[in-house]
Amino acid sequence: MRAILQIVSLLALIALTLPSIIFLAGRLELDTVKWIMLVATVVWFVAATPWMWKDKAK
Amino acid sequence: MDTEQQSQQTQAGSEFEREPVPKNALLGFKSFIGMYAGEHCAGTELMIGPLFVAAGVSAFDLVMGLVVGNTLAVLSWMFLCAPIATRRRLTLYYQLEKICGRKLVILYNLANGVMFCFLAGAMVTVSATAVGVWFKFKMPGLNDLYPNSIGWVVAVAVVGGLIAVVAAYGYQTVAKFANVAAPWMVLVFLAFGFVGLRHFIEATGTEIGSLADVWDLAKTQIWKGGTPLEGQVKFTFWHVTFFAWFCNMAMHIGMSDLSVFRFARKSWYAVASSAGMYVGHFMAWISASILYAYQLHLDPSNTDVLPGPLAHRAAGLAGLLCVIIAGWTTANPTIYRAGLAFQALAPKSSRFKVTLITGAIATVAGMFPAIAMKLLGFVALYGLILMPMGAVIFVDFWLIRKFGLQSSYAALSGKTFNWAAGLAWFVTLAIAWVLVKFAGVQIFFVSLPGWFVAAVLYIVLSKFYQKKVRPSVAE
Repeated sequence: MRAILQIVSLLALIALTLPSIIFLAGRLELDTVKWIMLVATVVWFVAATPWMWKDKAK
Repeated sequence: MDTEQQSQQTQAGSEFEREPVPKNALLGFKSFIGMYAGEHCAGTELMIGPLFVAAGVSAFDLVMGLVVGNTLAVLSWMFLCAPIATRRRLTLYYQLEKICGRKLVILYNLANGVMFCFLAGAMVTVSATAVGVWFKFKMPGLNDLYPNSIGWVVAVAVVGGLIAVVAAYGYQTVAKFANVAAPWMVLVFLAFGFVGLRHFIEATGTEIGSLADVWDLAKTQIWKGGTPLEGQVKFTFWHVTFFAWFCNMAMHIGMSDLSVFRFARKSWYAVASSAGMYVGHFMAWISASILYAYQLHLDPSNTDVLPGPLAHRAAGLAGLLCVIIAGWTTANPTIYRAGLAFQALAPKSSRFKVTLITGAIATVAGMFPAIAMKLLGFVALYGLILMPMGAVIFVDFWLIRKFGLQSSYAALSGKTFNWAAGLAWFVTLAIAWVLVKFAGVQIFFVSLPGWFVAAVLYIVLSKFYQKKVRPSVAE
């Protein structure tokens, strides 16, 4: 489970950054970038909190 | 500036407070990389980047100034702070107590606490600008010193009040949340930069075919140099360099991070601070400054430095969340730590009440935009005020015996107020004040000569002061 959450977290970070890079290249609308970033934000906090929180508690 | 650092320090400070850190509690290099990378990407970066643009900085001065200044900051951690930390392995406060005596440390705590309160106020200000995007009340302008609308006061009161209550109830929870948020926040800052750059490319119709084209855009459109905005000091290469070097002066030259690096196996682990410097104090400042430069490009009369609207334009709701979380996770440990500093004045008072009162003071401070809008000067002042004690620690550790004097004089003599250290602190600040007030030296530049003044004063004054030493107490 932990490994899955870590992979999802990593994907969320990629999804957070990649749209802005594609926007920089002029191939994506800003509104789409904003939506993807918001979804990636939600996914990051949902997926990363369980394993990063536990790490800190150890 | 700092997000997690203060929390780490506080956590670290709760262990081995009055003894050297034992070998089995030492931490590896990776711990410091993660800590510094996250901690210097904070809410205040969203103010500092734009304020560079308001100060009329040019592209070369900004980029090279940040490269040089941040390198000097890393070297200060590596060669001034960490070597002492890994040799003595004591907290800043215990080391200061041994040198200066308990009463002088209490005074140091008071100064530290007051500065933390104002800094936390600036962080509350940053978060409150995000609320303004939703509720559309009038927000402060670049040169506003006082709150300028009821809506603003209410927003700061609500945001600051919540931060204070959470800090009092669940400081550790927010510290853990800050750890989770750190990687996300860094990448949102990076996205700010990419989006801002694209905006400039579109707005100017620039064709980008190489890095040289990007640099040309940066020089001619983003950081154009020239006259600063009204009420701002003109920033040159030297201003940027010294600001980047000294904005965390309290931590490295001021030795606050003794409490952190006492856990490092080797002093070179302090090179990990470069992760924080080049993420937060390079990438994040540059990204935030691009957003503000674009705002000025669209409407030169709109000089307001408001992180909320800037972030919203670039990244929508995710950007707004970044502003709120960046301000919140930074203000939380800052308020908590200010509370700890104040509690040293009245050790029997409740930690909960002290943190709440401290949060209330920070909230009131946050209502006054002067601190956030003059953040460049305030941060320089913060470093300056605590710097002389760093010089005292440096001299006491490396040099004082060479002059036939005693190290850790307060511990040896039983004095509770080492006047040599106290006067070195006060006189250095008085000289710095005279230089700024009457000699026209800008505050960004007085700390460097100030360090040498404090070091020499401490040696000279100790010559007069160290007459009786209690011989029976081992160091």
